[in-house]
Amino acid sequence: MSFTPSDTSSPSSDAALEGPAGETSLDSMRTDESLGHLRRIGQRPSLGVYTVQLWHRRHYIWADSKARSRSGHRGMFLGSAWLVLKPLLDGAIYALIFGFLFNTNRGIANFPSYVIIGTFLFHATSNCLNGGASSITSGANMIRAFAFPRAALPLSVVTRGVVSMGPMLATMIALILIIPPHAQVTWRWLLFPLVLMLQMLLNTGLSLITARLTFQVPDFRLILGVIIRILFYGSGVFYSIDRFVHHPWLQFLMESNPLFIVLDMSRDVLLYDRTPALSSWLLLTERSLLILLIGYVFFWWKEEDYGRP
Amino acid sequence: MGGRDAARRQPSVVVRDLHVRYRTDADVVRHGRGRHGGHGHESRWLSGRGAVVEALRGVSFTTYEGESVGIIGQNGSGKSTLLRLVAGLERPTSGEVWASSQPALLGVNAALQPELSGAQNVRLGCLAMGLTPAEVDRVLPDILEVSAIGQAIRLPMKTYSSGMAARLRFAIAVATRSRILLIDEALATGDATFKERSEERLRERLSRAGTVFLVTHVGKVVEQQCARAIWLHDGEVVLDGPAYETAQKYRWWAWNVAQGKHSVADALLGEARSSAST
Repeated sequence: MSFTPSDTSSPSSDAALEGPAGETSLDSMRTDESLGHLRRIGQRPSLGVYTVQLWHRRHYIWADSKARSRSGHRGMFLGSAWLVLKPLLDGAIYALIFGFLFNTNRGIANFPSYVIIGTFLFHATSNCLNGGASSITSGANMIRAFAFPRAALPLSVVTRGVVSMGPMLATMIALILIIPPHAQVTWRWLLFPLVLMLQMLLNTGLSLITARLTFQVPDFRLILGVIIRILFYGSGVFYSIDRFVHHPWLQFLMESNPLFIVLDMSRDVLLYDRTPALSSWLLLTERSLLILLIGYVFFWWKEEDYGRP
Repeated sequence: MGGRDAARRQPSVVVRDLHVRYRTDADVVRHGRGRHGGHGHESRWLSGRGAVVEALRGVSFTTYEGESVGIIGQNGSGKSTLLRLVAGLERPTSGEVWASSQPALLGVNAALQPELSGAQNVRLGCLAMGLTPAEVDRVLPDILEVSAIGQAIRLPMKTYSSGMAARLRFAIAVATRSRILLIDEALATGDATFKERSEERLRERLSRAGTVFLVTHVGKVVEQQCARAIWLHDGEVVLDGPAYETAQKYRWWAWNVAQGKHSVADALLGEARSSAST
Protein backbone atom coordinates (compact mmCIF):
# COMPACT_ATOMS: atom_id res chain seq x y z
CA MET A 1 0.00 0.00 0.00
CA SER A 2 1.19 3.44 -0.72
CA PHE A 3 0.03 6.12 1.62
CA THR A 4 1.80 9.01 0.07
CA PRO A 5 4.63 9.01 -2.39
CA SER A 6 6.99 9.85 0.41
CA ASP A 7 5.65 7.33 2.88
CA THR A 8 8.48 5.19 4.12
CA SER A 9 6.96 4.66 7.50
CA SER A 10 6.11 1.78 9.73
CA PRO A 11 5.44 -1.71 8.44
CA SER A 12 2.78 -2.02 11.12
CA SER A 13 0.51 0.44 9.36
CA ASP A 14 -1.80 -2.29 8.04
CA ALA A 15 -2.63 -3.50 11.48
CA ALA A 16 -2.93 0.06 12.64
CA LEU A 17 -5.90 0.75 10.42
CA GLU A 18 -8.16 -1.76 12.05
CA GLY A 19 -10.48 0.45 13.99
CA PRO A 20 -14.23 0.69 14.19
CA ALA A 21 -14.26 3.21 11.39
CA GLY A 22 -10.92 2.42 9.90
CA GLU A 23 -11.83 -1.10 8.94
CA THR A 24 -14.37 -0.21 6.30
CA SER A 25 -12.35 2.60 4.84
CA LEU A 26 -9.17 0.58 4.73
CA ASP A 27 -9.94 -1.09 1.43
CA SER A 28 -10.87 2.10 -0.25
CA MET A 29 -7.70 3.70 1.06
CA ARG A 30 -5.53 1.11 -0.53
CA THR A 31 -6.88 1.93 -3.93
CA ASP A 32 -7.56 5.60 -3.49
CA GLU A 33 -4.69 7.53 -4.97
CA SER A 34 -6.08 10.78 -3.63
CA LEU A 35 -4.58 9.92 -0.25
CA GLY A 36 -1.36 11.11 -1.72
CA HIS A 37 -2.29 14.63 -0.66
CA LEU A 38 -2.07 13.77 3.02
CA ARG A 39 1.02 14.62 4.98
CA ARG A 40 2.32 13.62 8.34
CA ILE A 41 1.30 15.95 11.18
CA GLY A 42 3.46 16.69 14.18
CA GLN A 43 6.57 15.42 12.51
CA ARG A 44 9.79 17.35 12.48
CA PRO A 45 10.28 18.84 9.01
CA SER A 46 13.61 18.87 7.23
CA LEU A 47 16.00 21.64 8.21
CA GLY A 48 15.23 23.50 5.00
CA VAL A 49 11.46 23.42 5.44
CA TYR A 50 11.93 24.26 9.10
CA THR A 51 13.92 27.34 8.19
CA VAL A 52 11.26 28.45 5.74
CA GLN A 53 8.54 28.00 8.37
CA LEU A 54 10.62 29.99 10.81
CA TRP A 55 11.00 32.74 8.25
CA HIS A 56 7.22 32.88 7.83
CA ARG A 57 6.95 33.23 11.57
CA ARG A 58 9.02 36.42 11.63
CA HIS A 59 6.04 38.78 11.72
CA TYR A 60 4.72 37.24 14.88
CA ILE A 61 8.15 37.05 16.51
CA TRP A 62 8.72 40.70 15.82
CA ALA A 63 5.29 41.87 17.01
CA ASP A 64 5.47 39.73 20.12
CA SER A 65 9.00 40.83 20.99
CA LYS A 66 8.16 44.50 20.60
CA ALA A 67 5.11 44.14 22.81
CA ARG A 68 6.89 42.16 25.48
CA SER A 69 9.99 44.28 25.76
CA ARG A 70 7.70 47.26 26.29
CA SER A 71 5.44 45.54 28.79
CA GLY A 72 8.29 43.82 30.64
CA HIS A 73 8.69 46.60 33.17
CA ARG A 74 5.13 47.79 33.25
CA GLY A 75 3.74 48.12 36.73
CA MET A 76 7.12 49.13 38.11
CA PHE A 77 7.42 52.78 39.14
CA LEU A 78 10.27 53.52 36.79
CA GLY A 79 8.94 51.39 33.94
CA SER A 80 11.08 51.22 30.83
CA ALA A 81 13.74 53.36 32.47
CA TRP A 82 15.01 50.09 33.91
CA LEU A 83 16.24 49.11 30.47
CA VAL A 84 18.87 51.78 31.06
CA LEU A 85 19.08 51.84 34.85
CA LYS A 86 19.85 48.17 35.36
CA PRO A 87 23.05 48.05 33.27
CA LEU A 88 23.94 51.49 34.62
CA LEU A 89 23.85 50.27 38.20
CA ASP A 90 25.73 47.10 37.30
CA GLY A 91 28.42 49.09 35.55
CA ALA A 92 28.76 51.48 38.46
CA ILE A 93 29.09 48.66 40.95
CA TYR A 94 31.73 46.80 38.96
CA ALA A 95 33.70 49.96 38.28
CA LEU A 96 33.63 50.70 41.98
CA ILE A 97 34.53 47.24 43.21
CA PHE A 98 37.14 46.33 40.65
CA GLY A 99 38.46 49.79 39.98
CA PHE A 100 38.79 51.09 43.51
CA LEU A 101 38.82 48.08 45.79
CA PHE A 102 40.75 45.50 43.82
CA ASN A 103 42.66 47.71 41.47
CA THR A 104 42.11 45.42 38.53
CA ASN A 105 42.51 48.58 36.47
CA ARG A 106 46.28 48.26 36.45
CA GLY A 107 47.49 48.92 32.99
CA ILE A 108 44.09 49.64 31.51
CA ALA A 109 43.53 53.01 29.95
CA ASN A 110 40.10 54.53 30.52
CA PHE A 111 39.15 51.84 32.99
CA PRO A 112 35.58 53.03 33.79
CA SER A 113 34.58 52.86 30.14
CA TYR A 114 36.41 49.55 29.84
CA VAL A 115 34.17 48.09 32.56
CA ILE A 116 31.04 49.76 31.20
CA ILE A 117 31.47 48.22 27.76
CA GLY A 118 32.24 44.91 29.42
CA THR A 119 29.18 44.78 31.62
CA PHE A 120 26.72 46.15 29.08
CA LEU A 121 27.71 43.73 26.34
CA PHE A 122 28.11 40.85 28.72
CA HIS A 123 24.56 41.37 29.92
CA ALA A 124 23.23 41.22 26.39
CA THR A 125 24.63 37.70 26.13
CA SER A 126 23.77 36.49 29.63
CA ASN A 127 20.19 37.72 29.15
CA CYS A 128 19.92 35.59 26.04
CA LEU A 129 21.35 32.57 27.85
CA ASN A 130 18.82 32.92 30.66
CA GLY A 131 15.97 33.87 28.35
CA GLY A 132 16.64 30.93 26.08
CA ALA A 133 16.67 28.61 29.07
CA SER A 134 13.20 29.67 30.18
CA SER A 135 11.76 30.13 26.68
CA ILE A 136 10.19 26.68 26.40
CA THR A 137 8.62 26.78 29.85
CA SER A 138 7.32 30.30 29.48
CA GLY A 139 6.09 29.51 25.97
CA ALA A 140 4.25 26.37 27.10
CA ASN A 141 0.87 27.94 26.42
CA MET A 142 1.89 28.90 22.92
CA ILE A 143 3.24 25.42 22.30
CA ARG A 144 -0.03 23.88 23.42
CA ALA A 145 -2.12 26.20 21.28
CA PHE A 146 -0.35 26.74 17.98
CA ALA A 147 1.66 24.69 15.56
CA PHE A 148 4.79 26.64 14.67
CA PRO A 149 8.51 25.93 14.57
CA ARG A 150 9.43 25.91 18.23
CA ALA A 151 12.74 27.64 17.59
CA ALA A 152 10.62 30.77 17.33
CA LEU A 153 10.49 30.83 21.14
CA PRO A 154 14.23 31.17 21.85
CA LEU A 155 14.49 33.38 18.78
CA SER A 156 11.95 35.78 20.15
CA VAL A 157 13.99 36.00 23.33
CA VAL A 158 16.94 37.14 21.25
CA THR A 159 14.72 39.51 19.28
CA ARG A 160 13.42 40.97 22.50
CA GLY A 161 17.03 41.52 23.50
CA VAL A 162 17.66 43.32 20.23
CA VAL A 163 14.60 45.51 20.71
CA SER A 164 15.67 46.55 24.20
CA MET A 165 19.23 47.01 23.00
CA GLY A 166 18.48 50.45 21.58
CA PRO A 167 18.15 52.32 24.87
CA MET A 168 20.83 50.17 26.42
CA LEU A 169 23.39 50.96 23.71
CA ALA A 170 22.46 54.63 23.79
CA THR A 171 23.21 54.68 27.51
CA MET A 172 26.46 52.87 27.03
CA ILE A 173 27.62 55.27 24.33
CA ALA A 174 26.52 58.28 26.34
CA LEU A 175 28.42 57.03 29.38
CA ILE A 176 31.70 56.40 27.63
CA LEU A 177 31.47 59.83 26.02
CA ILE A 178 30.68 61.58 29.28
CA ILE A 179 32.98 59.81 31.70
CA PRO A 180 36.54 61.11 31.63
CA PRO A 181 38.82 60.44 29.89
CA HIS A 182 36.14 60.83 27.27
CA ALA A 183 36.07 58.32 24.45
CA GLN A 184 36.60 59.90 21.05
CA VAL A 185 34.24 59.24 18.16
CA THR A 186 36.25 58.01 15.21
CA TRP A 187 35.46 56.29 11.94
CA ARG A 188 36.24 53.01 13.66
CA TRP A 189 32.95 53.30 15.51
CA LEU A 190 31.39 52.23 12.23
CA LEU A 191 32.89 48.80 12.86
CA PHE A 192 31.00 48.43 16.12
CA PRO A 193 27.65 47.37 14.54
CA LEU A 194 29.54 44.56 12.80
CA VAL A 195 30.84 43.29 16.12
CA LEU A 196 27.34 43.57 17.57
CA MET A 197 25.92 41.58 14.69
CA LEU A 198 28.38 38.78 15.28
CA GLN A 199 27.53 38.85 18.97
CA MET A 200 23.86 38.55 18.06
CA LEU A 201 24.56 35.41 16.03
CA LEU A 202 26.46 34.05 18.99
CA ASN A 203 23.57 34.90 21.35
CA THR A 204 21.07 33.21 19.08
CA GLY A 205 23.08 30.01 18.96
CA LEU A 206 23.60 30.00 22.71
CA SER A 207 19.93 30.61 23.49
CA LEU A 208 18.91 27.72 21.22
CA ILE A 209 21.30 25.47 23.10
CA THR A 210 20.16 26.52 26.57
CA ALA A 211 16.53 26.22 25.46
CA ARG A 212 16.85 22.55 24.60
CA LEU A 213 19.11 21.70 27.51
CA THR A 214 16.78 23.23 30.09
CA PHE A 215 13.81 21.56 28.46
CA GLN A 216 15.41 18.14 28.69
CA VAL A 217 17.18 18.60 31.98
CA PRO A 218 15.40 21.23 34.11
CA ASP A 219 18.31 21.09 36.53
CA PHE A 220 20.42 22.75 33.88
CA ARG A 221 18.94 26.08 34.88
CA LEU A 222 20.99 25.97 38.07
CA ILE A 223 24.11 24.87 36.26
CA LEU A 224 23.57 27.73 33.84
CA GLY A 225 23.96 30.21 36.70
CA VAL A 226 27.40 28.76 37.36
CA ILE A 227 28.28 28.78 33.67
CA ILE A 228 27.30 32.42 33.37
CA ARG A 229 29.48 33.27 36.33
CA ILE A 230 32.43 31.43 34.81
CA LEU A 231 31.78 33.23 31.56
CA PHE A 232 31.68 36.53 33.41
CA TYR A 233 35.06 36.00 35.00
CA GLY A 234 36.47 34.36 31.91
CA SER A 235 35.59 37.10 29.47
CA GLY A 236 37.64 39.87 30.95
CA VAL A 237 34.66 42.02 31.78
CA PHE A 238 36.54 43.96 34.46
CA TYR A 239 40.21 43.12 34.05
CA SER A 240 42.72 42.68 31.31
CA ILE A 241 43.62 39.14 30.46
CA ASP A 242 47.19 40.10 29.48
CA ARG A 243 47.74 41.45 32.98
CA PHE A 244 46.23 38.81 35.15
CA VAL A 245 46.35 35.53 33.32
CA HIS A 246 49.79 34.12 32.85
CA HIS A 247 49.17 30.43 32.50
CA PRO A 248 49.45 29.81 28.73
CA TRP A 249 46.65 27.25 28.59
CA LEU A 250 44.26 29.42 30.54
CA GLN A 251 45.19 32.36 28.37
CA PHE A 252 44.54 30.37 25.24
CA LEU A 253 41.17 29.21 26.57
CA MET A 254 40.09 32.71 27.47
CA GLU A 255 41.24 34.25 24.27
CA SER A 256 39.32 31.76 22.20
CA ASN A 257 36.17 32.49 24.20
CA PRO A 258 34.00 34.30 21.63
CA LEU A 259 32.53 36.60 24.23
CA PHE A 260 35.98 37.75 25.22
CA ILE A 261 36.70 38.50 21.57
CA VAL A 262 33.46 40.51 21.36
CA LEU A 263 34.41 42.63 24.35
CA ASP A 264 37.99 43.01 23.23
CA MET A 265 37.05 44.11 19.73
CA SER A 266 34.35 46.47 20.95
CA ARG A 267 36.83 48.21 23.25
CA ASP A 268 39.41 48.42 20.50
CA VAL A 269 36.90 50.10 18.23
CA LEU A 270 35.12 52.34 20.72
CA LEU A 271 37.84 53.27 23.20
CA TYR A 272 41.28 52.73 21.81
CA ASP A 273 40.83 53.71 18.19
CA ARG A 274 42.35 50.45 17.03
CA THR A 275 41.19 48.36 14.14
CA PRO A 276 40.81 44.80 15.45
CA ALA A 277 43.15 42.31 13.88
CA LEU A 278 41.86 40.31 10.96
CA SER A 279 42.47 37.15 12.95
CA SER A 280 40.01 38.39 15.59
CA TRP A 281 37.34 39.05 12.98
CA LEU A 282 37.81 35.64 11.45
CA LEU A 283 37.89 33.84 14.76
CA LEU A 284 34.75 35.58 16.02
CA THR A 285 32.88 35.00 12.77
CA GLU A 286 33.84 31.36 12.77
CA ARG A 287 32.91 30.81 16.41
CA SER A 288 29.61 32.66 16.16
CA LEU A 289 28.49 30.89 13.01
CA LEU A 290 29.58 27.54 14.37
CA ILE A 291 27.69 28.01 17.63
CA LEU A 292 24.65 29.27 15.75
CA LEU A 293 24.68 26.28 13.44
CA ILE A 294 25.23 23.79 16.24
CA GLY A 295 22.51 25.45 18.33
CA TYR A 296 20.06 25.46 15.45
CA VAL A 297 20.49 21.79 14.60
CA PHE A 298 20.66 20.85 18.27
CA PHE A 299 17.34 22.56 18.94
CA TRP A 300 15.63 21.33 15.78
CA TRP A 301 16.60 17.76 16.60
CA LYS A 302 14.09 17.62 19.47
CA GLU A 303 11.40 19.66 17.69
CA GLU A 304 8.68 17.04 18.14
CA ASP A 305 9.21 16.79 21.88
CA TYR A 306 8.77 20.36 23.07
CA GLY A 307 4.99 19.88 23.33
CA ARG A 308 5.39 17.09 25.84
CA PRO A 309 3.50 17.98 29.00
CA MET B 1 -20.01 5.37 8.60
CA GLY B 2 -17.41 6.91 6.41
CA GLY B 3 -16.43 3.86 4.48
CA ARG B 4 -19.50 3.86 2.32
CA ASP B 5 -18.79 7.25 0.81
CA ALA B 6 -15.07 7.04 0.96
CA ALA B 7 -14.67 6.39 -2.73
CA ARG B 8 -15.88 9.82 -3.72
CA ARG B 9 -14.88 11.75 -0.62
CA GLN B 10 -11.45 13.05 0.17
CA PRO B 11 -9.97 11.92 3.46
CA SER B 12 -8.89 14.93 5.48
CA VAL B 13 -7.47 13.35 8.61
CA VAL B 14 -6.20 9.83 9.08
CA VAL B 15 -5.31 8.75 12.58
CA ARG B 16 -3.50 5.46 12.90
CA ASP B 17 -3.15 3.51 16.10
CA LEU B 18 -2.28 6.39 18.40
CA HIS B 19 -0.79 5.53 21.74
CA VAL B 20 0.20 8.09 24.33
CA ARG B 21 1.93 7.19 27.53
CA TYR B 22 3.00 9.71 30.13
CA ARG B 23 5.41 9.03 32.90
CA THR B 24 4.36 10.99 35.93
CA ASP B 25 5.60 11.55 39.42
CA ALA B 26 3.98 8.74 41.35
CA ASP B 27 2.31 10.83 44.02
CA VAL B 28 0.52 13.22 41.72
CA VAL B 29 -1.12 10.68 39.43
CA ARG B 30 -4.79 11.25 39.03
CA HIS B 31 -7.01 8.81 37.28
CA GLY B 32 -6.59 8.91 33.55
CA ARG B 33 -4.72 12.21 33.49
CA GLY B 34 -1.29 12.84 32.25
CA ARG B 35 -0.68 16.10 34.07
CA HIS B 36 1.78 16.64 36.81
CA GLY B 37 2.10 19.50 39.21
CA GLY B 38 5.50 20.62 38.06
CA HIS B 39 6.33 22.58 41.16
CA GLY B 40 8.93 22.36 43.86
CA HIS B 41 11.91 20.12 43.74
CA GLU B 42 10.30 16.76 43.24
CA SER B 43 13.05 14.76 41.67
CA ARG B 44 12.66 12.63 38.61
CA TRP B 45 15.57 10.40 39.37
CA LEU B 46 15.77 10.39 43.12
CA SER B 47 12.18 9.48 43.97
CA GLY B 48 11.82 6.40 41.80
CA ARG B 49 10.50 6.01 38.30
CA GLY B 50 6.98 7.32 38.84
CA ALA B 51 3.89 5.82 37.27
CA VAL B 52 2.93 5.39 33.65
CA VAL B 53 -0.39 6.80 32.57
CA GLU B 54 -1.88 5.73 29.27
CA ALA B 55 -3.83 8.65 27.84
CA LEU B 56 -4.55 6.97 24.51
CA ARG B 57 -4.36 3.28 23.69
CA GLY B 58 -4.72 2.59 20.05
CA VAL B 59 -7.03 5.16 18.52
CA SER B 60 -7.64 4.96 14.76
CA PHE B 61 -10.11 6.68 12.48
CA THR B 62 -10.41 8.53 9.20
CA THR B 63 -12.36 11.71 8.59
CA TYR B 64 -13.39 13.21 5.28
CA GLU B 65 -13.69 16.65 3.76
CA GLY B 66 -16.87 18.36 4.87
CA GLU B 67 -17.34 16.21 7.92
CA SER B 68 -18.03 17.55 11.40
CA VAL B 69 -16.96 15.08 14.03
CA GLY B 70 -17.84 15.26 17.69
CA ILE B 71 -15.43 13.65 20.10
CA ILE B 72 -17.24 12.81 23.31
CA GLY B 73 -16.13 11.21 26.50
CA GLN B 74 -15.78 11.97 30.16
CA ASN B 75 -12.99 13.98 31.70
CA GLY B 76 -9.78 12.08 31.38
CA SER B 77 -10.96 9.91 28.51
CA GLY B 78 -8.21 11.26 26.27
CA LYS B 79 -10.25 13.70 24.17
CA SER B 80 -8.02 16.71 24.62
CA THR B 81 -4.88 14.65 24.19
CA LEU B 82 -6.27 13.32 20.93
CA LEU B 83 -7.03 16.85 19.79
CA ARG B 84 -3.51 18.04 20.53
CA LEU B 85 -2.07 15.11 18.62
CA VAL B 86 -4.25 15.82 15.61
CA ALA B 87 -3.08 19.43 15.82
CA GLY B 88 0.50 18.19 15.83
CA LEU B 89 1.25 19.97 19.09
CA GLU B 90 2.32 16.86 20.89
CA ARG B 91 4.03 13.69 19.78
CA PRO B 92 2.35 10.33 20.27
CA THR B 93 4.29 7.54 21.91
CA SER B 94 3.44 5.54 18.80
CA GLY B 95 1.09 5.87 15.88
CA GLU B 96 0.65 8.51 13.22
CA VAL B 97 -1.53 11.42 12.23
CA TRP B 98 -1.90 12.34 8.57
CA ALA B 99 -3.84 15.33 7.33
CA SER B 100 -4.53 17.19 4.11
CA SER B 101 -3.44 20.47 5.70
CA GLN B 102 -2.17 21.69 9.03
CA PRO B 103 -5.06 21.39 11.52
CA ALA B 104 -5.48 24.25 14.00
CA LEU B 105 -6.97 24.47 17.45
CA LEU B 106 -9.61 27.16 17.59
CA GLY B 107 -8.41 29.58 20.22
CA VAL B 108 -6.02 32.45 20.40
CA ASN B 109 -5.76 33.22 24.10
CA ALA B 110 -2.18 32.04 24.51
CA ALA B 111 -0.88 34.69 22.14
CA LEU B 112 -2.69 37.67 23.62
CA GLN B 113 -1.19 40.13 26.08
CA PRO B 114 -3.52 41.85 28.54
CA GLU B 115 -1.30 44.94 28.62
CA LEU B 116 -1.87 45.62 24.94
CA SER B 117 -4.88 47.30 23.41
CA GLY B 118 -7.61 45.25 21.78
CA ALA B 119 -6.44 46.33 18.33
CA GLN B 120 -2.85 45.33 19.02
CA ASN B 121 -4.06 42.00 20.30
CA VAL B 122 -6.08 41.41 17.17
CA ARG B 123 -2.89 41.85 15.19
CA LEU B 124 -0.84 39.71 17.52
CA GLY B 125 -3.44 36.94 17.64
CA CYS B 126 -3.80 36.82 13.88
CA LEU B 127 -0.05 36.73 13.33
CA ALA B 128 0.20 33.92 15.87
CA MET B 129 -2.36 31.95 13.87
CA GLY B 130 -0.08 32.31 10.88
CA LEU B 131 -1.76 35.11 8.95
CA THR B 132 0.46 37.50 7.05
CA PRO B 133 0.34 41.23 7.91
CA ALA B 134 -1.57 41.87 4.68
CA GLU B 135 -4.15 39.24 5.62
CA VAL B 136 -4.46 40.76 9.06
CA ASP B 137 -5.35 44.11 7.51
CA ARG B 138 -7.97 42.38 5.42
CA VAL B 139 -9.70 40.56 8.29
CA LEU B 140 -9.38 43.41 10.78
CA PRO B 141 -12.68 45.21 10.01
CA ASP B 142 -14.50 41.92 10.13
CA ILE B 143 -13.07 41.06 13.53
CA LEU B 144 -13.99 44.49 14.88
CA GLU B 145 -17.53 44.04 13.65
CA VAL B 146 -17.97 40.53 15.03
CA SER B 147 -16.55 41.39 18.42
CA ALA B 148 -18.68 44.55 18.69
CA ILE B 149 -16.05 46.10 20.93
CA GLY B 150 -16.44 49.60 19.48
CA GLN B 151 -14.15 52.35 20.72
CA ALA B 152 -12.85 50.16 23.53
CA ILE B 153 -10.65 48.46 20.95
CA ARG B 154 -8.06 51.14 21.75
CA LEU B 155 -8.01 50.32 25.46
CA PRO B 156 -5.76 47.72 27.05
CA MET B 157 -7.40 44.33 27.01
CA LYS B 158 -7.01 43.95 30.75
CA THR B 159 -9.63 46.68 31.19
CA TYR B 160 -12.23 44.63 29.31
CA SER B 161 -15.06 42.84 31.03
CA SER B 162 -14.81 39.09 30.77
CA GLY B 163 -17.63 39.14 28.21
CA MET B 164 -15.88 41.69 26.02
CA ALA B 165 -12.59 39.81 26.21
CA ALA B 166 -14.31 36.54 25.32
CA ARG B 167 -16.01 38.18 22.34
CA LEU B 168 -12.76 39.58 21.05
CA ARG B 169 -10.93 36.27 21.52
CA PHE B 170 -13.67 34.48 19.66
CA ALA B 171 -13.72 37.02 16.83
CA ILE B 172 -9.97 36.68 16.38
CA ALA B 173 -9.99 32.91 16.60
CA VAL B 174 -12.56 32.41 13.84
CA ALA B 175 -10.36 34.41 11.48
CA THR B 176 -8.08 31.37 11.20
CA ARG B 177 -7.47 30.15 7.69
CA SER B 178 -7.09 26.53 8.64
CA ARG B 179 -9.20 24.01 6.70
CA ILE B 180 -9.18 21.57 9.59
CA LEU B 181 -10.55 23.11 12.76
CA LEU B 182 -10.25 21.61 16.21
CA ILE B 183 -12.52 22.99 18.90
CA ASP B 184 -12.12 22.10 22.54
CA GLU B 185 -15.31 22.24 24.64
CA ALA B 186 -18.10 24.72 24.13
CA LEU B 187 -16.77 28.19 23.53
CA ALA B 188 -17.42 30.52 26.38
CA THR B 189 -18.82 33.55 24.65
CA GLY B 190 -20.19 36.27 26.85
CA ASP B 191 -23.74 37.53 26.81
CA ALA B 192 -26.80 36.02 25.22
CA THR B 193 -27.17 38.36 22.26
CA PHE B 194 -23.60 37.71 21.32
CA LYS B 195 -24.09 33.99 21.78
CA GLU B 196 -26.54 33.94 18.92
CA ARG B 197 -24.29 35.99 16.72
CA SER B 198 -21.23 33.95 17.60
CA GLU B 199 -22.98 30.69 16.90
CA GLU B 200 -24.07 32.02 13.55
CA ARG B 201 -20.55 33.17 12.84
CA LEU B 202 -19.14 29.86 13.96
CA ARG B 203 -21.56 27.93 11.76
CA GLU B 204 -20.62 30.11 8.83
CA ARG B 205 -16.96 29.61 9.56
CA LEU B 206 -17.38 25.86 9.97
CA SER B 207 -19.15 25.61 6.66
CA ARG B 208 -16.05 27.08 5.05
CA ALA B 209 -13.75 24.71 6.91
CA GLY B 210 -13.07 21.33 5.42
CA THR B 211 -13.32 19.32 8.59
CA VAL B 212 -14.33 20.20 12.10
CA PHE B 213 -13.56 18.32 15.30
CA LEU B 214 -15.56 19.29 18.34
CA VAL B 215 -14.45 17.95 21.68
CA THR B 216 -16.93 18.01 24.52
CA HIS B 217 -18.23 15.93 27.37
CA VAL B 218 -21.77 17.08 26.64
CA GLY B 219 -23.50 14.62 24.35
CA LYS B 220 -26.21 17.07 23.38
CA VAL B 221 -23.79 19.54 21.81
CA VAL B 222 -22.54 16.83 19.50
CA GLU B 223 -26.07 15.88 18.48
CA GLN B 224 -26.78 19.47 17.52
CA GLN B 225 -23.57 20.36 15.77
CA CYS B 226 -22.04 17.23 14.34
CA ALA B 227 -22.85 14.55 11.81
CA ARG B 228 -20.56 11.96 13.26
CA ALA B 229 -19.40 11.19 16.76
CA ILE B 230 -16.52 9.30 18.26
CA TRP B 231 -16.95 8.16 21.83
CA LEU B 232 -13.70 7.87 23.74
CA HIS B 233 -13.33 6.06 27.03
CA ASP B 234 -10.07 5.41 28.86
CA GLY B 235 -8.09 6.26 25.78
CA GLU B 236 -9.97 3.90 23.50
CA VAL B 237 -12.67 4.39 20.90
CA VAL B 238 -15.87 2.88 22.26
CA LEU B 239 -18.08 3.80 19.36
CA ASP B 240 -17.66 5.65 16.09
CA GLY B 241 -20.82 6.39 14.13
CA PRO B 242 -23.62 8.82 13.31
CA ALA B 243 -23.73 11.61 15.85
CA TYR B 244 -27.26 11.09 17.10
CA GLU B 245 -27.08 7.35 17.83
CA THR B 246 -23.58 7.54 19.28
CA ALA B 247 -24.32 10.54 21.46
CA GLN B 248 -27.54 8.92 22.69
CA LYS B 249 -25.69 5.82 23.80
CA TYR B 250 -23.02 7.91 25.42
CA ARG B 251 -25.55 10.02 27.29
CA TRP B 252 -27.44 6.99 28.57
CA TRP B 253 -24.19 5.50 29.75
CA ALA B 254 -23.02 8.77 31.34
CA TRP B 255 -26.37 9.15 33.10
CA ASN B 256 -25.99 5.72 34.62
CA VAL B 257 -22.47 6.52 35.75
CA ALA B 258 -23.71 9.73 37.32
CA GLN B 259 -26.45 7.80 39.13
CA GLY B 260 -23.87 5.41 40.48
CA LYS B 261 -25.32 2.46 38.55
CA HIS B 262 -21.93 1.18 37.58
CA SER B 263 -22.99 -2.33 36.66
CA VAL B 264 -25.55 -0.94 34.21
CA ALA B 265 -22.98 1.49 32.86
CA ASP B 266 -20.40 -1.23 32.39
CA ALA B 267 -22.91 -3.36 30.57
CA LEU B 268 -23.78 -0.46 28.28
CA LEU B 269 -20.12 0.16 27.59
CA GLY B 270 -19.56 -3.46 26.68
CA GLU B 271 -22.67 -3.42 24.52
CA ALA B 272 -21.52 -0.33 22.67
CA ARG B 273 -18.09 -1.82 22.12
CA SER B 274 -19.44 -5.06 20.74
CA SER B 275 -21.91 -3.23 18.51
CA ALA B 276 -19.00 -1.28 17.07
CA SER B 277 -17.01 -4.35 16.17
CA THR B 278 -19.81 -6.10 14.31
